[in-house]
Amino acid sequence: MTEPALKEKVEELIRDNPVLLLMKGTPESPGCGNSMRAVAAIEPYGVEYAALDVLPALEPLRDATGEIADWRTFPQLYVNGELVGGADIVEEMHESGELGELLGARPSADAPAPTEPQAERPVTQSPPMQIDNS
Amino acid sequence: MALVDDVKTLIEEALPGSTVEVVDEGGGDHLRVNVTASQFDGLSLIDQHKLVKTAVRERSDTGELHSLSIKTATP
Repeated sequence: MTEPALKEKVEELIRDNPVLLLMKGTPESPGCGNSMRAVAAIEPYGVEYAALDVLPALEPLRDATGEIADWRTFPQLYVNGELVGGADIVEEMHESGELGELLGARPSADAPAPTEPQAERPVTQSPPMQIDNS
Repeated sequence: MALVDDVKTLIEEALPGSTVEVVDEGGGDHLRVNVTASQFDGLSLIDQHKLVKTAVRERSDTGELHSLSIKTATP
């Protein structure tokens, strides 16, 4: 049974962020190899995305996402409110080009040579989230 | 039974007729599976992966299976 408040909070994050990554650790410092793979697949597109570190409330968030999307492992990438997948799927879709279509962007490696200095890396937002484990 | 064999059996039972290859990527609890099954036909990747994850759920829940990397295909 998931705490309703937590489930609602996750649903709100999914609804409010067009591209949302639930991951272990942060994009700058991923907490597991699979979360690192997901970040590495998304970053080349240069799209702004929200990242939430699930480690502070791992088990409650497993239960919440299990109920919301029938998926209990992390990372999880959501685009426009839909669960796209974990590291394997995101990586596979990056390689097939489907991820670019979904994100409406092209990976920087395929982009034409820039005529101006590269723009600064997009800022990723980590929505603050307080979990009461008591 | 080694977890590798166990996982293979669980997926084959859940997806009759499938071809399942299980590779130990380290420590016996980080596994990679390649699954070819006609049941995947017409399903999104996410739903294909869900079928595989559901098949091994009992081993994931106990923590015996720590990490499962999945690659799916149709015959």
